[in-house]
Amino acid sequence: MSLIEVNGVSKAFRVSRRSAGIPGMLANLIRPKYEKKQAVNDISFSIEEGEMVGFIGPNGAGKSTTIKMLSGILYPDSGSVRVNGYIPYKQRKSYVGSIGVVFGQKSQLQWDLPVIDSFELLKAIYRVPEDVYQKNLKRFTDMLDMSGFLNQPVRQLSLGQRMRADIVAALLHSPKIVFFDEPTIGVDVVGKETIRNFLCELNEKDGITMLFTTHDMQDIEKTCKRLIIIDQGAKVYDGLLAGIRSAYGTTRQLDVEFSDDCTVAPIEHVEMKELDAPGGRKKRFLFESKEVQIDALMSSLLAAYAIRDLTVSEPEIEGLIRKIYSGEVVR
Amino acid sequence: MRNDTIHLAGVYTKTVMKSWFQYSVDAVLRSLAVFIREAVGIVVIYFSMLKFDTLNGWNIHELMFLFSLLFLTYGILILFFTGMRDFWKTVRDGSFDRFILRPRGLLFQLIFSNADWFAAIGHGGLGIVLFVISAGKLGIIWNAGTVVYYILAVIGGVLIQGAMFVFVAALNIYLLQTDSLVTLFYWDLRKFAGYPISIFHRAIQFCMIYVVPFAFVNYFPSQFLLRKEDMAGYPAVYMYLTPVIGVCMYLAAYGFWRYSIRFYKSSGN
Repeated sequence: MSLIEVNGVSKAFRVSRRSAGIPGMLANLIRPKYEKKQAVNDISFSIEEGEMVGFIGPNGAGKSTTIKMLSGILYPDSGSVRVNGYIPYKQRKSYVGSIGVVFGQKSQLQWDLPVIDSFELLKAIYRVPEDVYQKNLKRFTDMLDMSGFLNQPVRQLSLGQRMRADIVAALLHSPKIVFFDEPTIGVDVVGKETIRNFLCELNEKDGITMLFTTHDMQDIEKTCKRLIIIDQGAKVYDGLLAGIRSAYGTTRQLDVEFSDDCTVAPIEHVEMKELDAPGGRKKRFLFESKEVQIDALMSSLLAAYAIRDLTVSEPEIEGLIRKIYSGEVVR
Repeated sequence: MRNDTIHLAGVYTKTVMKSWFQYSVDAVLRSLAVFIREAVGIVVIYFSMLKFDTLNGWNIHELMFLFSLLFLTYGILILFFTGMRDFWKTVRDGSFDRFILRPRGLLFQLIFSNADWFAAIGHGGLGIVLFVISAGKLGIIWNAGTVVYYILAVIGGVLIQGAMFVFVAALNIYLLQTDSLVTLFYWDLRKFAGYPISIFHRAIQFCMIYVVPFAFVNYFPSQFLLRKEDMAGYPAVYMYLTPVIGVCMYLAAYGFWRYSIRFYKSSGN
């Protein structure tokens, strides 16, 4: 049995639908109209112990709702969730001690107090033994270079510092599983890199199972092997990050810089774009790898024209994800 | 296990105190401001009462005794139930989600992370001042029996009002916004509670006894100690019911809370 098992889970919210203006407001008062918004629709997946999984999707896709069901904040309408042998929303008190949750948008630290005070409070809440607490605190603050601001009030911290403190806050009780909801939001490039390295190291050395949502594809590329993509409440992809390329990224791109201005006759199955003015020196060729052999294309071009430079590129993951979100890729 | 809970309550209290003392001048002024705000109301009544001898048989000191119970219980109340009174805020800003994620009782966390010590000093302090001024002049015989009765009545009064806050907090899960409801049923009705309820219209009396039972917070307990004539209009047993009603209301409200919490919908996404 897997550590995290999600089976056919659905969750809908009732959203009150209001017509505009004062008449609409009054009508709503007398007879409220509700709309059902399906936030999560029949999602299933399972995650093994020690896995690090990226969980992505456009805004409103149902990522946070899923995380909230996994962590026990929300009841699913149907389906079942089982994490670490517990049913999160039913066995809350015994379950939550084994997980950590970071909401990037919502700090759990005491706003007016030094960071260390929040940590002390969490130590008492989670009943962390003194030696374990000291060991974790020292290790994490060293890894994230936090000793400089442990005694500063949270309200004076930069966003990057606050995020690091929040991540440590979720780890002090040595959880087995950690859910991250946008742990790098608003953090600068260096800060993001620090956080990613930290998470990778924890995953590798301590075998902590992690699931995280993000909108930054670099986060995923640098940390996760596996990716789950959801859109409009339904799962659209679940597999290796590398698999995305072979599944969706079959388009290849060949940029050619010719020695002189020229026009190229249309080639079958290849789309040509002018990168300079029409008839200029730089052109881009786009084609499907299964329809056109790249070596054949290149040698035919080389035979016919004088060429100064050639670049072949694979599609970027980010571009592929964008295509999946916008529905360009057939599911 | 018990020890551990007390320890956590202590750490919470220390944290809350520390937060307040980040702005220490404001914190102290807060106690003073609350005290004066409430005391002004009493002063107005005091001078009005100099024009009348009694209000339905109650003199000014007896009225002050009535008020003292109201303020004293409220002072203790907001040490424990501020988190329930302001539950809608906790839900709205998303911090309730965080409580769910911690391996402790939800009510416990709400209570101890919100204890409003400085307002409590303001309200409770006024209650004690009024008690000291009035109690000596009323000829109450303080013996073991009356002292125990008084303590039980205060506890009962706290529980009655605490139950109201817990009940409203549970309702908030369905209605999402309940501060007007609290104003209407708690604060507006509480304004009647400073006076002997016998002076009011029957409908108001009914409300104060059976709907939002403020009468059991201060009127009936005061009657036990003062034995005014207007008590004849009510069953004598009402003088003894405060602790019972407190415990029953609290248990009922707690049950309703436990039942409702499973319908909680997290705010935002």
